[in-house]
Amino acid sequence: MAKYIVKRLIHLIGIMIAVSFLTFLLMYLSPGDAAAKKLNAQGVAVSEEIIEKTRESMGLNRPFLVQYGDWALHALQGDLGESYKDGFPVAGKLVKGLRYTAILALTSMALALVVALPLSILTALKKDTLLDDITRLFSFIGNSLPNFLISVLLMYFLCVRAHLLPLVANESIKGLLMPCLALSIPICGRFIRQFRAEFLEQLGKPYVSGAMLRGVKRRYVLKNVLHNSSISILTIVGLSIGTLFGGSVVIETIFRWPGLGKLAMDAITNRDYPVIQGFVLFTSTVYVVINLLIDICYSWVDPRLRKKEGDS
Amino acid sequence: MKHLRKLLPLLLAMCMLLTLAACGQKAPESAAPPADTGADAVPAAAPAAAEPKFLKMAVNFAYPSLDAHKDYYGWYTQIYGVTETLFRIDSEMSVQPLLAKDSSVSEDGKTWTIELADAVFSNGNPVTADMVARNFRRLVEVNERYDDWAAFTFEAKDEKTLVITTPDVFPTMLVALTDPEFAVMDLDATTDFDNAPVATGPFVIKSFKPEGDVEVVRNENYWNGDVRLSGATLFYLPDADSKLMAMQSGEIDCYTSVDAAAKEIYEADPSSYVLTVIPGTRMQFYVLNQTRLSDNVCAAINRTVDCEAIAAYLKGTTSAAVGPFIASAPYGQVTKPAPDPAAAKALLEADGYTLNADGYYEKDGKVLELSIAHYMSRQLPDLAVLMQEQLKNVGVKATPVVEEDPDATYIATGDYDIALYCMIADTGGDPYYCVDALYRQSGKWAKAGFPTDETETLINKLQFETDIDQRAALANEIVQKSIDDNAFGYVGLFNKVSVARPGVTGFSEDIPFDFYGLTADTDIA
Repeated sequence: MAKYIVKRLIHLIGIMIAVSFLTFLLMYLSPGDAAAKKLNAQGVAVSEEIIEKTRESMGLNRPFLVQYGDWALHALQGDLGESYKDGFPVAGKLVKGLRYTAILALTSMALALVVALPLSILTALKKDTLLDDITRLFSFIGNSLPNFLISVLLMYFLCVRAHLLPLVANESIKGLLMPCLALSIPICGRFIRQFRAEFLEQLGKPYVSGAMLRGVKRRYVLKNVLHNSSISILTIVGLSIGTLFGGSVVIETIFRWPGLGKLAMDAITNRDYPVIQGFVLFTSTVYVVINLLIDICYSWVDPRLRKKEGDS
Repeated sequence: MKHLRKLLPLLLAMCMLLTLAACGQKAPESAAPPADTGADAVPAAAPAAAEPKFLKMAVNFAYPSLDAHKDYYGWYTQIYGVTETLFRIDSEMSVQPLLAKDSSVSEDGKTWTIELADAVFSNGNPVTADMVARNFRRLVEVNERYDDWAAFTFEAKDEKTLVITTPDVFPTMLVALTDPEFAVMDLDATTDFDNAPVATGPFVIKSFKPEGDVEVVRNENYWNGDVRLSGATLFYLPDADSKLMAMQSGEIDCYTSVDAAAKEIYEADPSSYVLTVIPGTRMQFYVLNQTRLSDNVCAAINRTVDCEAIAAYLKGTTSAAVGPFIASAPYGQVTKPAPDPAAAKALLEADGYTLNADGYYEKDGKVLELSIAHYMSRQLPDLAVLMQEQLKNVGVKATPVVEEDPDATYIATGDYDIALYCMIADTGGDPYYCVDALYRQSGKWAKAGFPTDETETLINKLQFETDIDQRAALANEIVQKSIDDNAFGYVGLFNKVSVARPGVTGFSEDIPFDFYGLTADTDIA
């Protein structure tokens, strides 16, 4: 296992180089640059001479490979540079954004799992009953509605009409509730459908019928079903966590949540290369690490995989 | 779904309950909310006169720093009521002294002498000419947009007299000094420019969250009269729906930049919301590429585009424009022909175009097809579609083409027939900035073919003209040429649309510029 982890971490270095290079290249090739974006930010016309001078002082006129190499060298030394837009350190921005994104992602995921897991087991056991129909209908609606619409509906009913939650909230627990709800509703809808399908598949397998016929207690059968479904559940959860850690621009903008999604979107709009690069490095690392953790969990959950790895 | 029949009544009952619950709520009362976090704001009764008055206002942008000299941060420190400049622009668009008391210019127009008012910083230190000079030098040093000012000198003649010398005549000095970046801070007392600048405004920073909310409290040492509010919280709310619902839920008291959808909702309930709509300074316009289009085609386009109809469609968020400036300004006295589709058709036909079976004009078997280059901002996509529709009605085929960055794409290459753009046309009650940006031979729109030696001469004359009436006359002449030559089409000026609860006044809702906000007169009745 240790060898496997080291191998995956070595792959991570290659992935980071490839992703950062490609991102830098795409940003370089796309029209516009940080100097013009910064100076024209409020719609005030600025002379081309001043823009050119700023471009020069920011080093944007240097050849692509020189710019990328300079950034990569500093990044290797742990220096992600400073934002072109405001001169503040990129690392500080990412750490701040990550903190809020992690809080929102993990609480949304926890909420979605707490609701989706028991409901999907129940609906799989009570297939084609009223409970199953209601749950499926709501999971279908939750999964189909776009984030912004869910957010607006939540704001309207919970904040404007019922005054249950603040709309203009800070980053407290109270302020977390609304974005967390808005983010977890579609995840919950998706999870219920996917988990239910997985449980139904397991429940239809011969080992379940056999156990039931032999008079094995239902809770032991369920335990086995859960155990055998865990690989699929882990995969689904792992992919969703990776996406959530990339940040959610819409939710973060609507609820003023200072996470990574909005940071990245603003950086792209402003051609803020150092911030974009930092974000890309960070998200690619998160994806690789989460996938690695999921793989480790696989072998922990399924001893056969451990054996296979040992054999190989 | 065999239980759907059972499920349906249940769902309907739930929907009814939700609707009843929604209808049962009353609109929030106008209130002065408490000054704490703002997270729990609920409508409350109006405070007694002696009670502290705190305002809650939404703002559209948030910045990482309060250093008024850097970037555009000064716009926001001024909106927060923290910083002030030597001069300010009033609702009549005229320059008024603020930290300054008086000003004069030498006969050669190159030396400006400014007498300062008896202002003090929030720490009680007096504002001296030396401190102002040091502030201006710092601005030039830290803000790239003021690189041109490096050739100017700023000297203190005495305690209260500042002398600015320029290498050339600089008639727009006082207008330039209204820029929020010319804020005066106590450079010696300020230890943290990013978070706690010491300045002269009616409010001082209580708490500042970079790229987030700001809390200000009354400056107890304010030099220019009584400050009516005890303090204010400025919430960063970039989303239009969030602002609307925060207003409806009673969590904020006012904001500017109300969008069309929210404006309609506020208009429907005048007892709960006070809307203020004034013409602003941000202009939507188009440029006709004269290197590609004939004179008649350009003229036909201008006779087709109906600015009033476009403004009506945009539901009061813009006002139809004639030129780039507000019509009431002395330099906004230009005229243009009324839209006339029949005249447009006649112009095209005089140019040899004939209508084909599809209803489009063509010449030599080639349909007249135009590109409308634009970008996704400031309602330009709506404008592109509306122009496309109006052109189609006279038989001109037009295709909107969207780019992400206009300056780096169609403006840089000149690859367009019609180019849409939006910019601030008036930064402070003088036409030169806009004229310089739009009509110079070295300017970014020159590729479209309009600027001539004649306009360049007029612009150079405007640059150094010191007489205000003469400046207005020159500006009018230049803009009129751009209209008569069918080079530009000025479509609309964005209105500054503000909303407030009844009783909330004085948050600069009557000033067309975006960079004014809280003042000593801001109040909640």
